[in-house]
Amino acid sequence: MAYLDLLHLEKSFGPNRVVKDFNIGIEQGEFVSLLGPSGCGKTTVLRMVAGFEAPNSGEIRISGVDLVGSRPNQRNIGMVFQSYALFPNLTVAQNVAFGLSVAGMKKAQIAERVAEMLDLIGLADLGQRFPYELSGGQQQRVALARALAVRPKVLLLDEPLSALDAQIRVTLRREIRAIQQRLGITTIFVTHDQEEALSISDRVVVMNGGLADQIGTPFDIYNHPTTRFVAEFVGTLNTFDVVVTDPDTGTVMMGATSLVLNRPVAAPKGGKVTLAMRPEAASLGGAGDLTLTGRVEDVQFLGAIIRIKANVGAHQLTLDIFNRADMPPPAIGSAVPISLSTHSLVVLVK
Amino acid sequence: MRTARFWPYAAFLCGLAYFIIPLIGMFEFSLRKRRGVYSLDAYTSVLTDPQFQQTFLYSLFMALVAIFIGVLLVVPTAYWVRLRLPKLRPVVEFVTLLPLVIPPVVLAFGYIRLFNTSSVVPFLGSEFGTNILLSCGYVVLALPYMYRAVDTGLRAIDILTLTEAAQGLGASWAAIIFRVILPNVRVAVASGAFLTFAIVIGEYVISALLDRPAFGPYLVWIGSNKAYEPSALAVMTFAITWGCMALIQVITQFSKHTRTPL
Amino acid sequence: MNWLGIVPFAIFALLFLLLPTLNIVLGAFRTQQGGFTLDNITNLAQPRIATAFWVSIKLSFASAAIGCLIGFILATAVALGGLPRWIRQSTLTFSGVASNFAGVPLSFAFIATLGRVGILTIVLRDVFGINLYGLGFNLLSFWGLVLVYLYFQIPLMILIITPALDGLRREWREAAAILGATGFQYWRRVALPILWPSTLGTMALLFANSFGAIATAVALTGSQLSIVPIVLFNQIRGDVLQDPQLGYAIAFGMIVVTAVTNLIYIVMRVRSERWLK
Repeated sequence: MAYLDLLHLEKSFGPNRVVKDFNIGIEQGEFVSLLGPSGCGKTTVLRMVAGFEAPNSGEIRISGVDLVGSRPNQRNIGMVFQSYALFPNLTVAQNVAFGLSVAGMKKAQIAERVAEMLDLIGLADLGQRFPYELSGGQQQRVALARALAVRPKVLLLDEPLSALDAQIRVTLRREIRAIQQRLGITTIFVTHDQEEALSISDRVVVMNGGLADQIGTPFDIYNHPTTRFVAEFVGTLNTFDVVVTDPDTGTVMMGATSLVLNRPVAAPKGGKVTLAMRPEAASLGGAGDLTLTGRVEDVQFLGAIIRIKANVGAHQLTLDIFNRADMPPPAIGSAVPISLSTHSLVVLVK
Repeated sequence: MRTARFWPYAAFLCGLAYFIIPLIGMFEFSLRKRRGVYSLDAYTSVLTDPQFQQTFLYSLFMALVAIFIGVLLVVPTAYWVRLRLPKLRPVVEFVTLLPLVIPPVVLAFGYIRLFNTSSVVPFLGSEFGTNILLSCGYVVLALPYMYRAVDTGLRAIDILTLTEAAQGLGASWAAIIFRVILPNVRVAVASGAFLTFAIVIGEYVISALLDRPAFGPYLVWIGSNKAYEPSALAVMTFAITWGCMALIQVITQFSKHTRTPL
Repeated sequence: MNWLGIVPFAIFALLFLLLPTLNIVLGAFRTQQGGFTLDNITNLAQPRIATAFWVSIKLSFASAAIGCLIGFILATAVALGGLPRWIRQSTLTFSGVASNFAGVPLSFAFIATLGRVGILTIVLRDVFGINLYGLGFNLLSFWGLVLVYLYFQIPLMILIITPALDGLRREWREAAAILGATGFQYWRRVALPILWPSTLGTMALLFANSFGAIATAVALTGSQLSIVPIVLFNQIRGDVLQDPQLGYAIAFGMIVVTAVTNLIYIVMRVRSERWLK
């Protein structure tokens, strides 16, 4: 039993099953992201934890106590909304104080906690401003302070960065993570941005069509995706459809070329599987136990990395190699050796 | 979350009762002219009354004149203020809202004092002048609604681009306003027109004080002299008001499906 | 030359709105011979007129306040109460009609319903054994008039406040709930303060609306009820020759009342709206 358990959650809107048998145990202080395209059910899961939606079945337990059936205002959960949702008629300080004041806390204590929270988000001087006088990033920080002021058991972040400019998005996400780690608060973060999810989380849940496709650390999710959806949704990917000729040794046929992966493949002989490879897993003539020959089709110079599109047989590969001053990019049309390690080839059976 | 629909429904039904019962009452009463049975006698009596016909046509005509003057006044003004004098907008808006604050009876009193036979502009010196004054008074009463409707309509279209395009094609100001701007806000203008009509048709105080043979004073006269006819007239007036509002809805809806939304 | 474009409007407004009003304001401080005087204003203190002002103000305030309250409740029920969408749409349409169904026909409808031989009066007496008039109800009284005025006041409130209710964002309610607030606390601390400016504005409008209303009262009571617009109306029609300047003072008084109402509204709005851009 974890700190926050979501067990067999089901939710339908009419005939539409938006969350299907959703399960996860989240440890105290853990930062978990729900990642997926819009309509995958991630926000619905969050809203069920908050109490805005009632699950059709399943349990939501904090320290073993089931929350299903209790109202949102009895749950002691903090939430930050995509649209900030600050109360426009209250000042920043009054917004942060809202949860404390409806709980009947004494004025002096409230003032102390508000000051502490404003300090935490670095807006100590702006307590008397109204929300409309703040930038989007500042408003979202206030919303975070407001959610944290009541010392919630769990913090829910519903796409909190989506409405912000790219630059603020990156700084604020770092700040959110720092504050979360400082307070050690259990957090669920909903996002459709894979970079955001990977950079901020302890664990990521990739959701697809109401199901949790894969739950794992960012490293796992990125390097060892278990489904084609996860592999494709998270990062850029080269895929090859191959036919298994020997499951035990992992021998597969890619067109006319035979590849030996030297590890068992969970598919029968003659079965079709997909090999996936990240663009940065290969190099031009570097180390690796597998070398293919490709013809350069396109070269994009992106600064730190160079993105090369090369044709290998009938497949087009996207390769990212680091820029080096002493190694100019290959010419378009030239033939290049492409080296990779068979370990970096992910076998997707599903 | 649980949804408790009881109180909303209860409130709605109470409101419904309050608003429907007088309508039923007036309708039922209007049918009672013949003793013992429901009949349309009150309606026949009203419709065949020459005074009804005269006063109703008079008010109808005054309404049309007021709409004409109102459109002619409001559309170019609202357009010009938006295009060239945005700084004056608060002032103009304030003036257009004044009729909501100055009671009509006060306005009528002002007219009587200002435009009497011995004044510089003796509107009240002739019947024609008095009619003009009355319709201008109606324009004033409808001004807040008319101006707001047109101004909202103008907000939805890009008047600057339209103006420049028309100018580029060599259009005069009159052509721009009446052949480019007006057609583009015709839904708003029509809304304002129907609202003006609904306000004017039963108007009482100004026409009574200016001593014009309008529908409003006729209604009051009937009210104190007949028993069932007033209800028949009220039913008819309600139907007219309803018709005006329904037409506003229809043209607004219709335009939503065929043109850019307002 | 840009200002030339609003000359027609300016002339119209001057001629039919501003000058007539100014004429009244000036006339209120003039003797019949044209000299300055405060006598007209002090004459307003005579019991007949002072009472009329007081009754009018009470009547307007009562109908505006009750109209706002009931209109607010109905609008909330219809806009946020989870009622079917067609109910909301037809309520708004009907409100458009009812807010314009004022004046003479409206009083006819109420006489036919709640007059001494009105259908509701009779049904209540014969079917339910409740004798309204025996219980002290009178349609031609202060509260009777309030009841009639509400027929156009409530719909006006509904028309104005519904868009404001639509402007309350779902996230505010949710944010309040997740912070531990009850529904009541959400309304008291967030929703009502946000709606307060538009409510105040509507209240001022409703006040002016019934303060100037005359046709309804005339048709209902045959110009016997002593409210200011009727007093002024009678003054203009009949008594002008006795004291022509008193009419100016009454009209001026009416302008002052509505102006003060709006001033109160503006001041309160500014105070309650610091949080708006």
